[in-house]
Amino acid sequence: MGRPGLNRRQLLAGVGGLTVAGSLGFAALGTGADALASSANTRVRYWNLFSGGDGYNMIAMLDAFRKANPDIDVKDSTLQWGNPYYTKLAMAASGSRAPDLSVMHLGRVAGFAPGRLLDPWDMDLLAKYGIREQDFNPALWKRAVIDGKLYALPLDIHAQLSFYRKDVLKKAGLLGDDGLIVPITSTKEWFDALKAAKKSTKKGLQTVGIHANDQNFSWWFFVAFYTQLGGTYFNSAMTDVVFDEDKATQVLEFLRRHVTDGYAIAGAADAEQFMNGSPFVWEGNWSVPVYSGAKIEYGATPLPPVFGKQATHAESHSFVLPHQSSRGGSSNEGAHRLAAYIVKNALAWAAGGHIPAYTPTLESAAYKKLTPQNEYVSAMDHQATEPKAWFSGSTGTLAARIGPVVASSNLGSAKPAAAAHSMKNVLEKLLAMKNPMDGKTAAQGGAA
Amino acid sequence: MTATSAEATLAPASKPIRSTSAGSADSLRARMGRRLQHGGWFIAPFLVLFALFVIWPILRGIYLSFTDANVSGVGANFVGWDNYREAFHDPLVWDSLGHSAYFTLLVVPCITVIAFLMAMLAHHIERAKWLWRLCFFAPFLLPSTVAGNLWQWLFNPGTGMVNYVLGIDTAWLTEKSTAMLAVVICTLWWTVGFSFLLYLAALQSIPDHLYEAAKLDGANAWHRMVHITLPMLRNITGLVIALQILASLQVFDQAVVIYDFGPGPEESTRTFVQYTLEEGFTSYRVGYASAISIIFFVIIASVALGRMWLLRKREEGVR
Repeated sequence: MGRPGLNRRQLLAGVGGLTVAGSLGFAALGTGADALASSANTRVRYWNLFSGGDGYNMIAMLDAFRKANPDIDVKDSTLQWGNPYYTKLAMAASGSRAPDLSVMHLGRVAGFAPGRLLDPWDMDLLAKYGIREQDFNPALWKRAVIDGKLYALPLDIHAQLSFYRKDVLKKAGLLGDDGLIVPITSTKEWFDALKAAKKSTKKGLQTVGIHANDQNFSWWFFVAFYTQLGGTYFNSAMTDVVFDEDKATQVLEFLRRHVTDGYAIAGAADAEQFMNGSPFVWEGNWSVPVYSGAKIEYGATPLPPVFGKQATHAESHSFVLPHQSSRGGSSNEGAHRLAAYIVKNALAWAAGGHIPAYTPTLESAAYKKLTPQNEYVSAMDHQATEPKAWFSGSTGTLAARIGPVVASSNLGSAKPAAAAHSMKNVLEKLLAMKNPMDGKTAAQGGAA
Repeated sequence: MTATSAEATLAPASKPIRSTSAGSADSLRARMGRRLQHGGWFIAPFLVLFALFVIWPILRGIYLSFTDANVSGVGANFVGWDNYREAFHDPLVWDSLGHSAYFTLLVVPCITVIAFLMAMLAHHIERAKWLWRLCFFAPFLLPSTVAGNLWQWLFNPGTGMVNYVLGIDTAWLTEKSTAMLAVVICTLWWTVGFSFLLYLAALQSIPDHLYEAAKLDGANAWHRMVHITLPMLRNITGLVIALQILASLQVFDQAVVIYDFGPGPEESTRTFVQYTLEEGFTSYRVGYASAISIIFFVIIASVALGRMWLLRKREEGVR
């Protein structure tokens, strides 16, 4: 085999040239080339954090939008959920490379420096595409407004639910004539139900999965039951902690009892045990496609109102406009159009378990037919949420600091009363802390 | 690394410079010029990348540690030594440092002894040598996420294999007393292969004639081990311990995977690197996170320098 007629210098020059040409090519791809390729006039860059079943549903909705709006080219990017996502979004928004549209948990909006890292929605444009305030759940809309401006357009809520196996509960005599679980309204009724269900459960399986050692779930369940007791965290001026340690202790003792009485095994694989025959699991509604796919007989209600009042933890996916120094023009309008379209056409999304924020969808006959969605749709009306502050929201600073305290009480390494006291300390520390994004404490405008 | 490679290039040429006349110095300069002309171009890409991705971030990190910068980089103010003062009084800094140190104390002796024993076994075994080597080394090839998830399942209280095989009912991952131990066990299984390989190579390089001579002199297996094998492995043991200390102090990924980014029961497995990440990317306090990572850098560098100093002292003592 002959050697190619190149000397070293020519080879190096060739490789260098290719590299430069290649990187220019990629740069071009990132800007206009793909918009040209799709013959669309407008390009909307859209970031989201949906993987798994949610990811499939979102892509299907985007494809429907593309079909209905061929003049808009949607360039969607899915990034990893949680802090990596929010870090990238913050950096992109501060570096003038923000996407035109992105998804954010509603609870994180207050901490995301509205006005600096987020741009407010243009209400006229939204109205042009059919978005009206009266078509949304008022609690959600209120949380999305900061300093009188709408910073987030709610898509859904995702609530914590009590999933139950109908086959096991039937044996235990816990199913009503309608084929649904009998109502439970007190801690006594709940533990009686667990006792009865345990007798009908296969050996080696726990009775209820409560994610006792998971800091996020532990915190979410705490928020739900603490709200059922009417507990609050801060005064309205965000200057004082009004956390009620007695109520908190009551909730922590309730959660802990699941472990001490042997109904929950700390560290067990909760979802897998449920699919294997464990009668109860407390999980987010995003598990609906998983359990439906597993072809098991199950139902799902909001977390039981064991302290008398209905309340279940809920977070919300919402659309936001990451800050762009020159926001406007067709891409901005396209972003409004896309968000409005998805919010209004979210039936596929609801099939994935989420409860739509857009009330016409919520009240549609098609949605009412979905099971078990129709069993827990009431969660929209009694959402228990974290306090509205810069440190709140999904996987935010509050969750990272306070979740482990709840988990340590669940696992028995801290007594409930001591854990309640630690929780108050965490809240006091965070209230005094300045939001690193704008240097203001919660009282100085971190929350509204 | 750059310093050493530059020294290596220049050292032979630079030695005669003081003792020679001006004329030969000129030719030396010409020679050096030629060398730089050729060699310089070859190391230039490395130098550029090194400066861009190592030197510049370090300098930038030092600068940021004196500011209250957030993750967006907008609106940072110079705050002097405030971050360092805060770090000194931050209980989580001390706790997480303690956890990293505790982990290191558990891992380093275990890994050294186990790697040595495994290497002895693999070295002396006659049948299916390759299989032993493969078994011992294979886990090292796994990514940390796989190793972490695997052990999360193995330690599962209801369905996990560890409790099943041992016939016990320990809540490995949810009890403070066993939480770090679980991370240590995962780490041993996952990383011992590397030290094993170092030991195996060292064992194979001990000349057979030493053992033969010892046998002729009537030394039994124990004597041969104590008087030949262990002394001949002294350098490699030093290396294994040093590398393990530096790696263990920086423990992060397996603990984070096993505890799903949480800090473990009673926050007992939050390591220093994890805390830095939390401050920087959960709380968005880039300035503060930079300050504590600089502190950590100083600690690790001190350990490494301390070890070098000890080693040099010992070598001088031997001489």
